[in-house]
Amino acid sequence: MKCVRCLTDNASKVAEAPDGSKAWEVYFCNRCDFVWRSSEEPEVIDPDKRDPWFQMADVEVEDIPVFSPVPPLRK
Amino acid sequence: MGENSLRGFLEKLEKAGQLVHYTDEVIPEPEIRRIGRAAVDIAAGNTGPAVLIENIKGYKGKRVAINVLGTWANNAVMLGMDKDTPLKEQFYAFAERWAGGSDGELKWIENAPCQEVKVTKDINLYELLPLFRVNKYDGGFYFSKASVVTRDPEEPDNVDKQNVGMYRIQVQGPDTLGIQVLPFHDGGIHLRKAEEMGVALPVAICLGVHPVNSLMASAPLNFDQSEYKYAAAFMGEPQVLTKTLSGNLDVPAYAEIVLEGEFVPRERYPEGPFGEFPGSYSGSRRQFRIKLNAVTTRKNPIFENLYVGRPWTEHDTLIGLNTSATLYFQLRETMPEVKAVNALYQHGLTIIVATDNRFGCYAKTVAMRLASTPHGTNYAKNIIMVDGDVDPFNLVQVMWALSTRVRPQKDVIVIPNTPGMPLDPCSEPPGIGGKLIIDATTPAPPEIARDVRMVDSIPEAEAYQKILIDLQKKAAK
Repeated sequence: MKCVRCLTDNASKVAEAPDGSKAWEVYFCNRCDFVWRSSEEPEVIDPDKRDPWFQMADVEVEDIPVFSPVPPLRK
Repeated sequence: MGENSLRGFLEKLEKAGQLVHYTDEVIPEPEIRRIGRAAVDIAAGNTGPAVLIENIKGYKGKRVAINVLGTWANNAVMLGMDKDTPLKEQFYAFAERWAGGSDGELKWIENAPCQEVKVTKDINLYELLPLFRVNKYDGGFYFSKASVVTRDPEEPDNVDKQNVGMYRIQVQGPDTLGIQVLPFHDGGIHLRKAEEMGVALPVAICLGVHPVNSLMASAPLNFDQSEYKYAAAFMGEPQVLTKTLSGNLDVPAYAEIVLEGEFVPRERYPEGPFGEFPGSYSGSRRQFRIKLNAVTTRKNPIFENLYVGRPWTEHDTLIGLNTSATLYFQLRETMPEVKAVNALYQHGLTIIVATDNRFGCYAKTVAMRLASTPHGTNYAKNIIMVDGDVDPFNLVQVMWALSTRVRPQKDVIVIPNTPGMPLDPCSEPPGIGGKLIIDATTPAPPEIARDVRMVDSIPEAEAYQKILIDLQKKAAK
């Protein structure tokens, strides 16, 4: 299914309410690693209502900055 | 200080009237966030209670503890003091315990409470723990108060080089985590070595520990100082540990929840954003990933997390005095004139130091010393120096010192282009900054000051405060 943040088709359901109440489900995008719960506010889970500053539709994963670069292997 | 556990501490808070049970049903988002925000906002971080949230929609039977060390009243309880103890007295009590250094005793037990329940397959954190989104635009559900344990891969048997650090952790897949460990963190040194060796670094993540363990995990201790030994010395009793199921890592035996796993070597994955302690969101970065292989818990575990965002929050209380005490002792190694250090603001982006002037302009040298301590190098951006008889925790006194002692042409120094703290929203580029030193101390010879006489403080008046407070209490009855 579509990720609400990066808008690609890489999200899937990873959990349901563990008490069996069906109160909500949790979804995870394995491209941008966004996670959301179906019971959250529209500004969090509705792509049209999310703050565009936080959207990642136009961001390539490899362009996201790295603060701890992978060091060279020891010889 | 009682049982070396979160539960033991919650009992102490309850006795002191600093724990409340929230039993009305709440939805995970946004209500847990709002309750955490409210608890710390009561009297601006001074008197609000810890909250045990006991009825979470979809997580029936599971509990969240929040704001455990969010306020100075709770901090006083941790120190065994009366809950309305003034901050400067808490600082000195804290520093006295801190001076115990790394001499504390460690003890290991088997069949520890933190391993009463073991999950080693089909791990799904979203179902095991009552997770919630801390701030609205966080990239996921975060552990904001986790103690992360790693060992030096070059010396895996060295207990002193075992690190316990507090890093932000985003739950991603059901059994994978994204974690921010920066190169200057001790855990970052372990990770760099492991990646150079091409090996997966084992890790344990402890949730729900005694607050002294949390404050040691978040303290800027040296690389070869054991957080557990510090915790034991601080508490005046042995730190009780147990070994993880899968390896050689030590975890507090009474922890509520322990996640065991390994860092995925030489790969980076998206993480964030996360609402951080300066009150701003950090952007998304590619960070380390952890793959879990076991989750162990006490029976009916309490999931403890903290609210962090626009200050004041529990993050500020948690790291305030450990940052202050670390810098206090580092300065006093060579500068015994230093009387107290207040590094409460945004992990020490702004710091107030009380010091006597050994000679003219000495305070400026103390400021430069502060700016070159390991923590101060990146953090100490705004440094305010006040006289030794000014209480740096009393902002009325600090403002008085600024108002009456600062000569702008002589006492304000800006050092451009120094290391900065990447999370500081005005560090540009992230990690580069500057230093501002404001010397609000009274000039000492050979510096020539204007000949004035200041009004004496009246220390004898303190005894009368108690009399007046008692009279006030009687008058209110």
